[in-house]
Amino acid sequence: MRDRALHLAMWTFSWLAPRSQREALMGDLAEEYALRANATSASAACRWYLRQLCASVAPLLWSRLTRTAWLATLGVALGAYIAVGVVEFLVSWAIANPSASGAAAIDPLGLIITFPMVVLIGYIAARLRRRAAIVLGAMMLLNVTAIMLWSTEAMPRWYRIAYFLVGPAATFIGSALRSLRSARS
Amino acid sequence: MKNRQDALGSLEHIVLLAVMRLGSNAYGMTVRREIQSATGRDLSIGAVYATLVRLESKRLIRSYTGEPTAERGGRAKRYFRMTADGESALRSTHEIILKMSAGLKGLRAT
Repeated sequence: MRDRALHLAMWTFSWLAPRSQREALMGDLAEEYALRANATSASAACRWYLRQLCASVAPLLWSRLTRTAWLATLGVALGAYIAVGVVEFLVSWAIANPSASGAAAIDPLGLIITFPMVVLIGYIAARLRRRAAIVLGAMMLLNVTAIMLWSTEAMPRWYRIAYFLVGPAATFIGSALRSLRSARS
Repeated sequence: MKNRQDALGSLEHIVLLAVMRLGSNAYGMTVRREIQSATGRDLSIGAVYATLVRLESKRLIRSYTGEPTAERGGRAKRYFRMTADGESALRSTHEIILKMSAGLKGLRAT
């Protein structure tokens, strides 16, 4: 039972440890475990090992998450994508005409109002993580393509083209503005 | 304005001081023991390594691999040394603490 718990703890430690420090961390634990087992008992050393594991999970996991750059970029892009969705919903809700609900969705005013807001969101995303705006643009392009392919709603051609271009173009401009600003400073 | 790398968190500060005190014998477990014996604070080995990794990414310390030993199951030690940037970060943090605590009688060591 004790050996099994120890093996599980060792496996968890080696999974959590940063790759560059894994061997050293496991070696340090083995060294201290041997010292404690000699000084006290194997059971006491095993309890120490398990206590170390419990206290180490949070800092090692946090370190692992914050060092995974792509995860942070994806997180920022996802947050920005949600923000774009909220903006689109609020704009279409604000300009909607209750007497002509079908036509409200194809109002060019909606695109005109949404555009600078998406530029701003793209700018903020690029400020937080440089590549987040590119990921956001790709996500919006995928979303718009899916809507175009599977939507049964009748839309004029100009609206389809504009709808297809507005989101990715706005995030591209936001990202370019961010790059321009950082180049100046 | 100081560089962001100069700003040390409290744990970073303590770990960097331990690395400095240990000199050429600074590796994960000795850093942990040094902090425990000097402050009584029982840090987990995970917290020590997470901090060492952060300090290394800020280039305040650098690491090198030692020889593998039998009592470590054939695994090598990873030694840490403070860099010149680390020394200047320690100095600037120390100056900030001295300035902020100057004249505060309630903080006198007992």
